[in-house]
Amino acid sequence: MNLYYFLGHLGPIRIGLFLVALVCSMPARASSYDAPLPPQLSSDPDLCAYAPCREVMPGADSFSPRQGHPSYVEAYRQAGATRQLFGYVFLSTDIVDIPAYSGKPVVTLLGMNTKGVITGVRILKHSEPILLIGIPEGELTRFIEQYVGKFAGAKVEIGKSQADEGQIGLDAISGATVTVITENQVIMRCAYAIARQVGIIETVSRPAARFTPQTDLRDWNALIDEGSVQHLTVRPSELGVASTGEPYIDMHFGYLNAPAVGRSILGDPDWTRLMAELKPGEHAFFIIANGTASFKGSGFVRGGIFDRIQITQEPDTYTFRDTDYQNLYSIAAAGAPAYRESGIFILRSKAFAASYPWRLRFLANKIDPQTRTKTFASFEREYWLPGRYLDGGRPVVHTPEPTSLHVWKMKWLEIALLLLLFAATATVYALRDRLVRRATRKNKNWVSIPKYVTWTLSIVFVGFYGLAQPSITQVLTWLHSLVFNWRWELFLSDPLIFVFWWFIFITVLIWGRGLFCGWLCPYGSLAELSFKIAGALGLKRFQFHLPMPWHNRLRWLKYGVFATLVAVSFYSMGIAEQMAEVEPFKSTFLVGGVWKRAWPFVLYWGLLFTVGLFIERPFCKYLCPLGAGLAVPGTFRFYGLKRKAECSDCHACQKGCGSLAIDDAGVIDRRECLLCMECQILYYDDHTCPPLSQERRRRSKAGLPMTPIAADGYYIPIKPVGADQRE
Amino acid sequence: MHEMNQPAPILPPFAQEKRLLQRLGYEVWDHLWPWSRHGFERQRFIVALSLGVGAVVSVVWLLAAAGRIGANAMIAWWVGWSVFEVLVRRQSKPYVKEGPWWGTQYRRADLADTICYVAFKNLLIGIALFLAMRYFGALDFLQGLPELKWLYI
Repeated sequence: MNLYYFLGHLGPIRIGLFLVALVCSMPARASSYDAPLPPQLSSDPDLCAYAPCREVMPGADSFSPRQGHPSYVEAYRQAGATRQLFGYVFLSTDIVDIPAYSGKPVVTLLGMNTKGVITGVRILKHSEPILLIGIPEGELTRFIEQYVGKFAGAKVEIGKSQADEGQIGLDAISGATVTVITENQVIMRCAYAIARQVGIIETVSRPAARFTPQTDLRDWNALIDEGSVQHLTVRPSELGVASTGEPYIDMHFGYLNAPAVGRSILGDPDWTRLMAELKPGEHAFFIIANGTASFKGSGFVRGGIFDRIQITQEPDTYTFRDTDYQNLYSIAAAGAPAYRESGIFILRSKAFAASYPWRLRFLANKIDPQTRTKTFASFEREYWLPGRYLDGGRPVVHTPEPTSLHVWKMKWLEIALLLLLFAATATVYALRDRLVRRATRKNKNWVSIPKYVTWTLSIVFVGFYGLAQPSITQVLTWLHSLVFNWRWELFLSDPLIFVFWWFIFITVLIWGRGLFCGWLCPYGSLAELSFKIAGALGLKRFQFHLPMPWHNRLRWLKYGVFATLVAVSFYSMGIAEQMAEVEPFKSTFLVGGVWKRAWPFVLYWGLLFTVGLFIERPFCKYLCPLGAGLAVPGTFRFYGLKRKAECSDCHACQKGCGSLAIDDAGVIDRRECLLCMECQILYYDDHTCPPLSQERRRRSKAGLPMTPIAADGYYIPIKPVGADQRE
Repeated sequence: MHEMNQPAPILPPFAQEKRLLQRLGYEVWDHLWPWSRHGFERQRFIVALSLGVGAVVSVVWLLAAAGRIGANAMIAWWVGWSVFEVLVRRQSKPYVKEGPWWGTQYRRADLADTICYVAFKNLLIGIALFLAMRYFGALDFLQGLPELKWLYI
């Protein structure tokens, strides 16, 4: 039984199922990927009964219950008869709410000694698809081990160290840039927050605010308009709970020490009384709220702490105890809304400076709609007292650079080179008419050389160096973000991919998918280049095209793969990511060598590569879900390729088309065409294109001059002198 | 450059409209309304069914936009509607635009063309709908409507 017989009887659907089964059976599940965690982990006072605290705090022999806000546990070591404080252990999801690439947090357990030095990091659970099947678990372990020995207050960033700026650089995980940048934020913010809370890191001192003598009373709308009162709303859908038609919480809040604001909100007598009670370095805030939830919660009843609200002023976080609370009976400002819950909170810290921006943070539990598990979520609104109430106006504030911007700055050279490559490729393609006129079927250098250069750069620079291989997984992530929660920073975190996708969007609409698939896709370039090299090395006589009937059946397979992936992704991104291993991209470029992967991946990759030495681009033609996805908009590209009327009877171009994109009627299938330009070379080649060749021979025999070939692919007609005038 | 040797060119009635705004209006209508008068005459049963499905789809879209419906249901409706639209357009409007989108050339669409057209167009409409509802605050408004509670999934 030969291969043809086997494929012919298998049929496209069965082949698809076979491949899906192969991919799904690949044994590469990472141990912390979507690992089931006990529900008590996030709430039980005995954190270490559910988490491996000793692994992140070696040497400790006992642990306290959870304490503090945000919570941590103390680690102890027995020294003789006494028990000594040895360090602190904390869970990232108790402290920060930073989703990673998957949109879900990386649940991380950290240990830190009493000097603020990180003693251990352990990832308990993540949902990062690239770490599921693309990158071995060992890479992740090696990455987080870099944090051991780092001080909680250090400036740690992904990338190179910069001694002059006091920045410690860490090695990233190739192919998982977004994940490691996010995890870096998680680890360092958590360590800082706990180190700050337990007093290892000193308070950042800012000059206290001096208020202007403004005392004019303002109504509610005026306070809202000028920003003296801010508004924070959390909807039930943001927490995964059923709606009742009301917001989950709908809060207005503001800073009361500023005389004009305080008097407007409380009225003159109450404000004067409140200010008289405050000591230097104490600050009063008011909150009023509606909604189904309470901003006070019930934690203050049991433990005396309001566990649903915090004030943050980077890098400090402040919580309130029951002794910091006063009743707020009414709002004096005219036009204030009715409210269900209210309160005044006193912040007792000289570190807080009202002249600088701060945030009110509302903490809640978010329920995963799929698993119904609870995770910590926080919602914030910034408040910055208007400059008219501050003596000297608002101070200059240096906001930290967004992580994505930092990455763009780090990779500016790569981005510039990539843009240059795109610009050059697009220019070459836009000038295709000039190039194909100079090329002939026997000498295609004018077209081949630019293509070979582009393929080589795409493989070496874009693929292996930049790891910027576009993939169907990015399309799925993009689709999901569009529907559920668009986050620009997610896409900006990987600048090369971001730039590449813009190029793809634009060129697919203008020229179809061929410029990307045929010229710039790193894997496609590798497949085509290896096919050409194999031919040059003597395998040409074994190279062949599949018969058109088989090709016409098999080419639909990739659309089936694409549709299946999209549909499955809405059921489970994790399963879709696993199934997306039908793309051999990760094995080729992202994991530092296909040999590092499990044997089924190596087998699959090797099979594709070997078949690709004999059949031109088999993966691109029959399996690539990304190519199928791009073919959909590519059907409506603005500019196509040139054809002649005779192309319907002549099959010269069809025979030379490596993509098998020209049918028996001479029609180019715009979804399959990879813009190889073979048919366009023939279009102007008067020794190969039959209509041109016939005309050339006719003129030669008749002794007529050879006029230039016009844009329509025919010789410019010879008109007798004076014909123009007669016409 | 117009491609020769492509499926036969075809001109919908509005393509010869010279006035720009009117033509744009016709084009928008053509994208949003898959039925033709010709189709109405031939497919009365399908038309009635289509209108019903269209109404349900509209409600599902609104709920989905408000985050009140599962993703599976939303994607199922989107696909279901798209499949239905493909079948209707194959009968009623069997053409797609050829060349630049601002041009007036059309060609006869085969099944794959129609599927690609409907899938891509409905994706763009979906994106536009979500963005518009988000921008104009319709999502917040819908979430505050207890009258819709009985429809939540």
